[in-house]
Amino acid sequence: MKVRDLAALSPGAEWVVVGLPDEPIAGAYTSDMLSDVLAHAPPGGVLITIQAHRNTVAVAMHRGLRAIVLAHHRPVPRDMAEAAQAEGIAILRAPADQYTLSWRLHEHLRDEGVVR
Amino acid sequence: MTLEQAARALSAEWVHPGPAGAATRSLRGVVATDLMSDLLVADRHGHLVLTSLASDQVIRTADIVGAPAVVVVNGKPLPAGMVDLARELGVALLRSTLPMYEACVAVARAAGP
Amino acid sequence: MSVLPINSDQPPLVLQDLLFKLKVRDVMTTDVITVRRADTMRYAQALMKTHRITGVPVAEQGRLYGIVSMDDIITALETGAMDRPVEERMTTRVVVLEADMPLSFGASYFEKYRFGRFPVLDRDHRLCGILASRDISASLLIELYKEYCRLEARVPPLAVRAEPARSIHIRVHRYDFENAGKGAHEIKKTLAAMGVEPAHIRRASIAAYELEMNLVVHSFGGVLRANIGPGEVVVKACDDGPGIADVELALQDGFSTANDWVRSLGFGAGMGLGNVRRVADEFSIQSSAGAGTSVRAVVRWPAAGGAP
Repeated sequence: MKVRDLAALSPGAEWVVVGLPDEPIAGAYTSDMLSDVLAHAPPGGVLITIQAHRNTVAVAMHRGLRAIVLAHHRPVPRDMAEAAQAEGIAILRAPADQYTLSWRLHEHLRDEGVVR
Repeated sequence: MTLEQAARALSAEWVHPGPAGAATRSLRGVVATDLMSDLLVADRHGHLVLTSLASDQVIRTADIVGAPAVVVVNGKPLPAGMVDLARELGVALLRSTLPMYEACVAVARAAGP
Repeated sequence: MSVLPINSDQPPLVLQDLLFKLKVRDVMTTDVITVRRADTMRYAQALMKTHRITGVPVAEQGRLYGIVSMDDIITALETGAMDRPVEERMTTRVVVLEADMPLSFGASYFEKYRFGRFPVLDRDHRLCGILASRDISASLLIELYKEYCRLEARVPPLAVRAEPARSIHIRVHRYDFENAGKGAHEIKKTLAAMGVEPAHIRRASIAAYELEMNLVVHSFGGVLRANIGPGEVVVKACDDGPGIADVELALQDGFSTANDWVRSLGFGAGMGLGNVRRVADEFSIQSSAGAGTSVRAVVRWPAAGGAP
């Protein structure tokens, strides 16, 4: 699964920042607590969160994440989008909630054999 | 899916069982969040709450929205006040060592298609 | 067993305590009106009439010989024996109480024998008082009143709680995450007790909770109020500052001025006011930087849905 394929997770999802669409996705982490993301998110993975904040991008960059999927179609503040653009981190707004996005993403990753 | 089934899927530890029958009543859905406002969205109730936030406010929020049970993920230690409040407000409280993402996957698997 | 209209199997602890703690001596009348054996029935009757009592013990130097009851007087009247000495006409098989008996025991006697009063004897079997049923009720009322005053004195003065069913008023302190949410819970409980439908209760308590959390997170402290009227609850949150510079911006979903610490507690995601506006039927906010903020949210429900 590549970054560009994330849009399939939720009908109505829209790209705010496309990032590096052809990079592969190595895993996922779901959290709304940035300190938790900072400590545990898997490098090369995707973050599923509701935290639409510039600090989310800072944390994603620190962990080497490829994309941020914002649940509940959360609006993205301009400074967040600019930071993501500069760092090559994709941002997708999706209408689904964190729970749904998590298990759907897992199904994709499992089908590809990235995870069990 | 019942709370009992969700608990098994999460290998969760029961901290407070909630009111009689809470374990076997079927859940209306699942909310995974660490933000209280996210939980306070009006059109959801009867849901299982998955969160990595371990605080009194989680229980209060669950009570306000009519969520019967809270599972604290990430193996977070629970403050004593949180357990007391769960008892007082009749909210079932469980703890799982799974991270949130894995917890969502495990619960979704238990819930079936 | 008891003359008191209470559940004597399991009366409230305070009452149980009182009934055991109080002895007959604490409650009886010690200034006993008596007659002597040689006094006439007419004298006894006059005494009862003057003092408005229905029975008078016959005693001399503390020794109890009998009791003249209203029944005895009536019999004497019917048989023309009013000028006979009481010694001849009194009831001699007197049921007595002992001064050291617990009051619960004394109370049970009234039920058991259906007499209006019982002479009370001390340890030396001397008449030391008389117990009427009204003595018991009066003393219990006095003791309960004392106990009530004592308990009330221990309760700290709470916020205005005089009409808990209709009006709730809670002081909210800055960064007091421990108590935050109690006001919303109170509102929820009150509406539930009034039989309002759960969906409307949820909307009202969500609005109250978000406003309460806003006071905790963003204000210097303030007051959360709820006024419950027929078919509606008006929730108001007023604070003493610091005020909101741009109200329009604050209402935008995702806009937040919360710091990372507040965010780490699960608040300050910039969803609060939006949530309130979404669940409320009426919403207004007034604020300016440097002054306080006041938010008003009204949640309504149809009268058929169990309105008060």
